[in-house]
Amino acid sequence: MTTRDLVLAALFAAIIVALGLLPPIMLGFIPVPITAQSMGVMLAGVILGARRGTVAVLLVLLLAAIGLPVLSGGRGGLAVFAAPTTGYLIGWAFAAFTTGFIAERVVRPSQTSLTQTLGFFVAAVAGGVVVLYAFGITYLAFITGIGMNKAFIGSMAFIPGDVVKAVVAALAGRAVLAGYPLLPARA
Amino acid sequence: MKSLYVEGDSFFHRLPPRPKLILLLVASLALFLTRSPLLLGLAAGAAALLYSSLGIGWRQSRIRLRPILLTIAIVALATLVLNSMEEGIAVLLRLTTLMLLAAAVSATVPIGDFINEVTLAARPLERLGLVKASDIGLSVGLVIRFVPEVDSRFQQLRQAHQARGLKVRATTMIVPLIIQTLKSADEIAAAIDARGIRGQRQARNSEDSR
Repeated sequence: MTTRDLVLAALFAAIIVALGLLPPIMLGFIPVPITAQSMGVMLAGVILGARRGTVAVLLVLLLAAIGLPVLSGGRGGLAVFAAPTTGYLIGWAFAAFTTGFIAERVVRPSQTSLTQTLGFFVAAVAGGVVVLYAFGITYLAFITGIGMNKAFIGSMAFIPGDVVKAVVAALAGRAVLAGYPLLPARA
Repeated sequence: MKSLYVEGDSFFHRLPPRPKLILLLVASLALFLTRSPLLLGLAAGAAALLYSSLGIGWRQSRIRLRPILLTIAIVALATLVLNSMEEGIAVLLRLTTLMLLAAAVSATVPIGDFINEVTLAARPLERLGLVKASDIGLSVGLVIRFVPEVDSRFQQLRQAHQARGLKVRATTMIVPLIIQTLKSADEIAAAIDARGIRGQRQARNSEDSR
């Protein structure tokens, strides 16, 4: 990793932490509050690509693990890794990687803005919803022994919010690509 | 950002970080080997005793533990309803024990010691060529330094929105926030290299020439 890549990952980690400072928002049609922080995970993949995006997310998790209150709602410390929802935190790193991996391969500078946005949306859903929930639900099912089906049903309420986040992440990713492209840095 | 470390002179405070982290790791595995309410109850009691010996205080403890305790309670209740009483109690006791132990470790290991442990743990990975162990401390320092920076950018953007009578929306804030923040990467990277902090001039040159 070059120093610039390292700094970009660290800056993005700081953005993810700052997104956690925003109060959660309620959308009328979704029963649970949505936080901006998990959108930061999708954004990391979409904007920085697989490698740097994953490093950014790992840095946030490391900061949380060593006792800094960097997760949304001021959570932090090793105790957050002892919760039933820890699978989602572990899944963050894989979500950012998947999102970045797909975004790097699907989105090209020559495409129209609509195609780019759609590509980013697919990447964000694949990473930030499919992969993330695979980790979160498997962990929840394992730790409680309630079985995958019930764990899945219990997590469903959060999926619409994450799809909304994927839309915002795709739009933001496309706008950043137009304003300050970092993604096609696969030399 | 205030860390979760709490000054103190309890037995657990004086224990070096590594045995504490190993204890936590062993506990996180051992707790899943049994589902006996008696054993798990004893473990939870011991963890509670340990946590209370640190002198953190009720108020502070409530702020720290409530969000996690709440998710544990919800999930344990769901397990109780969906599966059995025994499973529900096991989940509750196991996760509460782990949470208390983890919180006790977090409260007694300062950030600097933690970074040393992480750097040490990353040495084998360094030999594999995956990471540079000394980069970990540097990156953690950078993130801690950047968070207030990002926050003040956010406040500026909010004021700019308000001055123009625009509603503060995530969709219109995020893009300028990210672009402004990431644009400073070149300057910061140049400053780090100019000071030779990563001590890898030759490695960097060979990367540049590729």
